[in-house]
Amino acid sequence: MSYELVAGFETHIELATKTKIFCGCTTQFGGEPNTHCCPVCIGLPGTLPKLNREVVNFAIRAGLAVHGEIAEVAKMDRKNYCYPDLSKAYQISQLYAPLIIGGYVELSNGRKIRLHHIHIEEDAGKLIHQHGDTYVDYNRGGVPLIEIVSEPDIRSIDEAKEYVEKLQQVMRYIGISDCKMQEGSMRCDVNISVRPQGSEKLGTRTEIKNMNSITNIAKAMEYEFERQTDLIESGGQVVQETLRYDDATGTTSSMRSKEDAHDYRYFRDPDLVTINISRDEVEKIKATLPELPADKCKRYIEELQIPEKDAQLLTKYRKISEYFDEACEGVKSPKTVSNFIIGQMFSRTETEADKEEFAVATTPAQLNELVKLIDDGKIRNNLAKSTLEKMLDSGKGTLDFISESDMGGLDENALNDLCKQAVESNPKAVEDYKSGKEKAIKALVGNVMKNSRGKADATAAEAKIKEIIN
Amino acid sequence: MGTISKIHEMLVSKQCSCTELTKSYLDEIEKSNGELNAYVNITGEEALKTAEQVDKKISGGEEIGMLEGVPMTLKDNISTKGIETTCCSKILTGYKPIYNATVWDELANQNAVMLGKTNMDEFAMGSSCETSYFGGATNPFNTKHVSGGSSGGVASAVGANIAAYGLGSDTGGSIRQPASFCGIVGLKPTYGAVSRYGLIAYASSLDQIGPITKSVEDASIVFDAISKFDDRDSTSQGNLGGETYSKLNNDIKGMKIGIAHEYLDGVRDDVKESILKAAEVYKSLGAEIVYFDLPELKFALPVYYIIACAEASSNLGRYDGIRFGYKTEHYNGTHDMVCRTRSEGFGDEVKKRILLGTYVLSAGYYDAYYKKAQNLRGTIVKAFDNAFEKCDVILAPTVPMTAFEMGHAVSDPIETYLTDICTVPVNIAGLPGVSVPCGFNANGMPIGMQLIGKRFDESTILNAAYKYQQAAPENFKDTKWGVKL
Amino acid sequence: MVTREDVENIALLSKLFVPEEELDSLTQSMQEIIDFADTINNAPTSGEAFDNINNLSNVFREDEVVKSYSSEEILSNAPEQAENHFLVRNRE
Repeated sequence: MSYELVAGFETHIELATKTKIFCGCTTQFGGEPNTHCCPVCIGLPGTLPKLNREVVNFAIRAGLAVHGEIAEVAKMDRKNYCYPDLSKAYQISQLYAPLIIGGYVELSNGRKIRLHHIHIEEDAGKLIHQHGDTYVDYNRGGVPLIEIVSEPDIRSIDEAKEYVEKLQQVMRYIGISDCKMQEGSMRCDVNISVRPQGSEKLGTRTEIKNMNSITNIAKAMEYEFERQTDLIESGGQVVQETLRYDDATGTTSSMRSKEDAHDYRYFRDPDLVTINISRDEVEKIKATLPELPADKCKRYIEELQIPEKDAQLLTKYRKISEYFDEACEGVKSPKTVSNFIIGQMFSRTETEADKEEFAVATTPAQLNELVKLIDDGKIRNNLAKSTLEKMLDSGKGTLDFISESDMGGLDENALNDLCKQAVESNPKAVEDYKSGKEKAIKALVGNVMKNSRGKADATAAEAKIKEIIN
Repeated sequence: MGTISKIHEMLVSKQCSCTELTKSYLDEIEKSNGELNAYVNITGEEALKTAEQVDKKISGGEEIGMLEGVPMTLKDNISTKGIETTCCSKILTGYKPIYNATVWDELANQNAVMLGKTNMDEFAMGSSCETSYFGGATNPFNTKHVSGGSSGGVASAVGANIAAYGLGSDTGGSIRQPASFCGIVGLKPTYGAVSRYGLIAYASSLDQIGPITKSVEDASIVFDAISKFDDRDSTSQGNLGGETYSKLNNDIKGMKIGIAHEYLDGVRDDVKESILKAAEVYKSLGAEIVYFDLPELKFALPVYYIIACAEASSNLGRYDGIRFGYKTEHYNGTHDMVCRTRSEGFGDEVKKRILLGTYVLSAGYYDAYYKKAQNLRGTIVKAFDNAFEKCDVILAPTVPMTAFEMGHAVSDPIETYLTDICTVPVNIAGLPGVSVPCGFNANGMPIGMQLIGKRFDESTILNAAYKYQQAAPENFKDTKWGVKL
Repeated sequence: MVTREDVENIALLSKLFVPEEELDSLTQSMQEIIDFADTINNAPTSGEAFDNINNLSNVFREDEVVKSYSSEEILSNAPEQAENHFLVRNRE
């Protein structure tokens, strides 16, 4: 029997606000231990939380970006559990009235992964275990998070990977998080179950906690899929439990210990008041959202005639797409711009991090200028290409490498003369062409190129020659 | 009587220096605290330092504020930077906050002279002060009797004239009940009028800081000083009703004073008699007495215990031996350390309320208890709103009885809870309530009455209380203890 | 009906140890309080939704950094600390 994988994600994303969710301490990553702390975020008795407005705004941005419904009324709840990294023994979160309801993430195969909701909450501190001792650092405690909870709509590991990538992409686009999985600013819990192909009923699920790379997500899901399938095949039953994935062994193991009693006793946090979100405010925030990657991609394909594959590459990172948009300003051929970026610039920004930053030496305006020279027929592609290399090496502009004379002699009349000359002086080639030897035209074009010392545009020359012969 | 205005006058007219005054309070504490057990931490050195500053100002001809240089105390659940704040629990022994509660910032800025921190039921859970890790404070009228609770130490100290006034906290009656037992005035402000920042939480949606004083004027002065909007407390609104002191002597002719029959049910005869006598006093002052039913009151006590314990179980989770306070000596692993620390650090009453709160929030019980109690809270709020369409203030006993003997409370927990029956509705509905002495029983123990007002209408209840104080001054008595002014 | 198991379970959730010999009496006393709390079951459920006592909403702070405390202050009440961390030493 073949089995189908069913997975849902709970994705935690640290918000890039300046301060923590309930106090004014910085959210900066790292720092000496316990130096980004105050009485509030270490939970000293008597302290009270005060909600950072920007956290709400960022969550609304996230909600809008994934087509969620922004709640009119949201509330904060306490999730009670005792663990050394949680300074108050409860996490302020949302259960009963989250900020965002529903929404979806659309995959390239056209499937929509539905979202259950998105809520805001605080992050916990960091524990370091050493020789059985536990060291606690609360710098991260109180950093704002959104948790994006999906429905169990994911059906394959590829879909899982794409889902995470899409979330990462869109959250970066809207500027609410850097989503760096290796630094923990994006973490996933994966709920996974299997069922016989064609079955409607969900199987018993397990939850793999705290996955911090897409590679590990894929590996852990693969392992868990096999484990559950084998278990069922051999007549066993999957136990609903929380698992951790061990990178070294490539296996999952149970996190449960007899000390954990899981009953979070959620209730409304009496220290915080209701959040009302007016529709006006939602509209205002909507107006500040950048064009989202899916929309951009569609526009590139449909309006700018960029091939789909290239459009996806251009929109994967916000900075690249913005670079592209700026460089395209007023050019006749966006495709040329795209080719320069994907060809020459990508070879200089090889890693994901480089692409994310996209700190190339040439500015979009400089690239724009270069492409416009091609558009105007002032230089041809080959020259532009080699010039761009020099620009990328030096950060200098087009005019530093291309002289007036390089751009001269390409006007309509000069080209006409050169073409006429080529036709007149090569009757053999003209005859060959007329008798059906298409290739013969190349010799004529070559002649024009030679005589123009490489300044002529080959395509234009070919057209002109054909015109003369006919 | 050592009231604030009297002390202020003495200081301004240089009848005594602030240092002399402070010293005499400290001397009296020294003499009496063994028997009263009102103070758990005496901060004489700091007090004298502040007194010296005040003296400098006075001798320099500077004007001083009403509360400047007046010796006072804080309940030991109000955070004081660098000064041990224990909630009278073993689990917070040695804990020195690194920040000040907003109310203490406010008063310290006005050069209030803090004599020390006062006794209370552990984490404010109790009605007799006897759940304190340091043993209960006694009643200045008879030290065989309890001071009341949970702010028993403040009430004992103010009643015994070893502090001019103090700040307590009131979650289910913890200011009004001990004030009533000790024959003084206690004001529980409207929820949100006074910042809770720095008040070590028992039940966050019910807790409120307020003054315990010798007179109604003093309660008004202190309330005006501490009822400020605080940026650090999301539930803070400040004194929306405006300052109260200047309105104390307003005529109360035609004021409608309501009495709900249910408030007199099960109340001891001597207490009931005093309340009805007070009603007569009001009549003679031109007020109108209206009677009505408030049947929702019978649910107030269970609703209170469910909500208070639920919130407490969450608020008290942080005492785990890691960041502050007591930590057990011997353990095996973190979980064991936390459990041992908590089991050794909390007293029985606190543990019981944590367990009860955990129970009512746990899966399967949340709807039947916590959710239902929240719903009833809404009903009770509405019931009071309706009642205030019939009257301007509600008159009720503060406690159905007078201060009982030490050791009595622990014998019957439910009966002990019943002492809160008249005070908790005010917390549930977030209303202001002031307890005012209104007589004595046959054994000379004070009886208190409670005036309950509309939300943020402290002004009206203080005005009514002041008028009563003027008409029945015999109920405001000094005890044998403390500083004689 | 409060059972011994209920009490054991909530004690675990509350991170409190209940000595075996106190379990019965504590169960009994919890039962009494729960019986008392049960009196609310006779109350009619009203439509009055309770939100927060003064019906406050939208109390926010601006996203402006306030200077943090020094780690010395933060750790000043720690029963145990090492290398600027709070510490739970593994003891046996």
